[in-house]
Amino acid sequence: MKIGSFYLEKRTHVRWYIQGLSILIALLGAFGVGALLIKTTGANVGEAYAALFKGAFGSRNAFLETLVQSTPLILTGLAMVVAFRARVWNIGAEGQFFAGAMAAAWVSMSLHDTLPYPLLLAAVLGSAMVAGACWSLIAAYCKIRFNANIIIVTVMMNYIILFLLSYLLSNTWREPGSYFMQTARFERITYLPRFFSSRLHLGFFNALIAAALVYLIVWKTSLGYSIRAVGVNPVASQFKGIQIKRTILTVMLISGALAGLAGGGEIAGLQHRLRLDISTGYGYTGIIIALLGRLNPVGVALAAIFFGALVNGSTHMQIFTGVPVALVQSLQGIVLIFLLMSDVLTRYRIRRMPHAD
Amino acid sequence: MTNPKPREAGAENQIAALSEAPETGCANEAASILLRVENLSKRFGSVQANDQVSFEVRKGEIHCLLGENGAGKSTMAECLYGTYKPDSGTIYFKGQEIRLTAPRDAINLGIGMVHQHFVLVPPMSVVENIIIGTQKKGLLLRTEEAETKIQGLCDEYGIDLDIHAAIKELSVSQQQWTEILKALYVGVDLLILDEPTAVLTPQEITALFRTVKKMAEHGLSVVLITHKFAEVLEVSDRITVLRKGKLIGTVNTRSINDRELARMMVGRDVIFHVEKEVIEPGDLVLEMEQVTLRNSQKTKKLDHIHLQVRRHEILGLAGVGGNGQRSLYNAIIGVSPLDEGRILLCGENLVKKSVAERMMARLAGIPEDRIKQGLLMDFSVKESLLLGRHNRRPFSRFGWMSKKKIRAFAEQAIADYEIAVQNCDVRTGTLSGGNLQKVILARELSHNPCCVVASQPTRGLDVGAIEYVHRRLLDLRREGAGILLISEDLDELFNLSDRIAVIYKGRIMGEFERSEATRERIGLLMAGISE
Repeated sequence: MKIGSFYLEKRTHVRWYIQGLSILIALLGAFGVGALLIKTTGANVGEAYAALFKGAFGSRNAFLETLVQSTPLILTGLAMVVAFRARVWNIGAEGQFFAGAMAAAWVSMSLHDTLPYPLLLAAVLGSAMVAGACWSLIAAYCKIRFNANIIIVTVMMNYIILFLLSYLLSNTWREPGSYFMQTARFERITYLPRFFSSRLHLGFFNALIAAALVYLIVWKTSLGYSIRAVGVNPVASQFKGIQIKRTILTVMLISGALAGLAGGGEIAGLQHRLRLDISTGYGYTGIIIALLGRLNPVGVALAAIFFGALVNGSTHMQIFTGVPVALVQSLQGIVLIFLLMSDVLTRYRIRRMPHAD
Repeated sequence: MTNPKPREAGAENQIAALSEAPETGCANEAASILLRVENLSKRFGSVQANDQVSFEVRKGEIHCLLGENGAGKSTMAECLYGTYKPDSGTIYFKGQEIRLTAPRDAINLGIGMVHQHFVLVPPMSVVENIIIGTQKKGLLLRTEEAETKIQGLCDEYGIDLDIHAAIKELSVSQQQWTEILKALYVGVDLLILDEPTAVLTPQEITALFRTVKKMAEHGLSVVLITHKFAEVLEVSDRITVLRKGKLIGTVNTRSINDRELARMMVGRDVIFHVEKEVIEPGDLVLEMEQVTLRNSQKTKKLDHIHLQVRRHEILGLAGVGGNGQRSLYNAIIGVSPLDEGRILLCGENLVKKSVAERMMARLAGIPEDRIKQGLLMDFSVKESLLLGRHNRRPFSRFGWMSKKKIRAFAEQAIADYEIAVQNCDVRTGTLSGGNLQKVILARELSHNPCCVVASQPTRGLDVGAIEYVHRRLLDLRREGAGILLISEDLDELFNLSDRIAVIYKGRIMGEFERSEATRERIGLLMAGISE
């Protein structure tokens, strides 16, 4: 590629600080475009960003709330890490999140008076993981059996489960006499414990444990080796006896379970009732989180906290500067675009054509 | 073959041909220089692909660029063709300094190039492929005029080709003719051929060289890029040798022999004939019976293959690329399930066994495409050495990988196989071709295999690495393994094999004891002509 007298040269070696730098550039670029958007609302850019920051990190409670917001994102991000490491493009975390939420809701509704307290929580979260895994299993089966495109299948599955939920919420599960499409509030016994007299619930710590586990699985076990090998070179992997289909299946199960756990955590930790809007696109945002975190569990946790901060701070920003919350959603999208662009800089360096004269 | 070209050969021969300084010829030579490259340098990241290289090509000369892999031959050619822009240095063409920004510039000036990988449209005819992009005006293709011209070129240069045939119907050699015609059609004065013989049978190579010589007689200059000595000596007028991006010198072909040339190319003496001990072959190790593989159109990729390999024996499999060698490798390794037949390893039927099970039964494989099929370029060397055994003891227990054992194995392998790398944590992708192959050898051979299938094990390697691979294969033979050596390099097959079989269109055309095999017999079978 050539632009004027500049051209791109492929880097032979990508150093870690180049990676860091590219993320930084992407974030700066995104905030720059964000500034233009804020300008269109007539607000002061500096004030708006200050309010955003204050809302996210300004006080102990603000910070804890940021962590609350980041909880589902850590898990859906991790779900993407596992899948993307094997180059299995699971775009179905959103659907798997809902599958998990539905299972958690069902267990909360039907088993709350049969199981003792800690066991009940385990059942709630466990069923969420199983449901998420099962939901992604359908897509994995289509891929393995019919070589269907996994992106398309997982995206379609997202719609299917939303309509399924919508049906359930307008019929069987609907809170009697309610105007809204939602279940009744669950019994207190199904709630996850909360900490520091805030909304921060056990789900956040689950997410951190999951991050550690994902790290161990991907880098310390032979399963993780297979996952990464299939991602890097499926042909060579197959030639050396790694079973591609089995790896895809495993990856989809883990990925689905993590996304399912995210859904279960939201239900049992925060929402305590099932509604159609329990996710603000956590499954899709997880993709951005995973890319921003460079498919690394630690990076994902940091990226998720950053996105959580944006969401959390945005309310504060809207109240004090009038900039609508929607800015943050567009900002998330812009971050992804800039990230993909700055990715070019990590893989290539810009060179100037030497002039013979 | 005698060469009737008009040249001032006698005078030149007296000039110290091996000198590294540019040759100083007599006055009339200056006029006959078509291309002159002065101090051309090109760098890719940390690799200096060309370092202050100067050479010149005369009008009507066949000029070889000779060098090991990675010597910078192809980079030089791409600079001449405008694909790459040199970092520094000047190129003079027909006495004028030229600056190329794209291949189009080169073509307009009269420089053509035939790449190793052809750029043709399979469903279109030869004529259509040739005139694509050459027509300046009008919407409709006017082919009659072009046909006459192309047929004329074929006759002129003795090219035997049906110009109305679709490319997909043609053999590799015929496709290559099409590429050459493409260049001739637009009227080039300099034609660059990048490793043109890599894909041809001996007979096809002879035909190609005949045409190349005819082109030179007609005043065309040809730059031939290759690393094969025999060809260079047979066809060229002068040779420019590159080593590690640097110019070693330009010599007259007549005043040099293969040994001197090899020393220039490698920088040291090269043993051409490997010492092979006489060993009586032992028990059967690998048996293939009626092995048949069909593709989705139900045509046979492998047709009732019957081969046997014994202990202490190397069975060479000759054949032009794309005649089923790949399918055969895949079938033995276990990647492609058979449609018919059996494969036995030490008497045990492999047909129902997985790739991993075959590997554990001590079957080792060196795949033809080491980067695509053999290695994980983004993994560390340590991890690449582990592929296939990552989930086995002692490297992994209950799914948990042992860092210590993996590192110990990798360090041992790096030492044993002389892999040039600082440490085992380096990314595999940074290694050179020879070292990549050593990683594969270390991984495949260090677990005491009883049978090795080696597919094109030296393709694209430099002479030093080729020697190393050959030595390892012969060591294995001595230690008692049976080796199936699939290769397109006849020299390699003749040097290493105890027996040579020939594959053509998925069938075994014949099999010879090494003592009975000649290039002619093998060559005919490679072209599908039975004796």
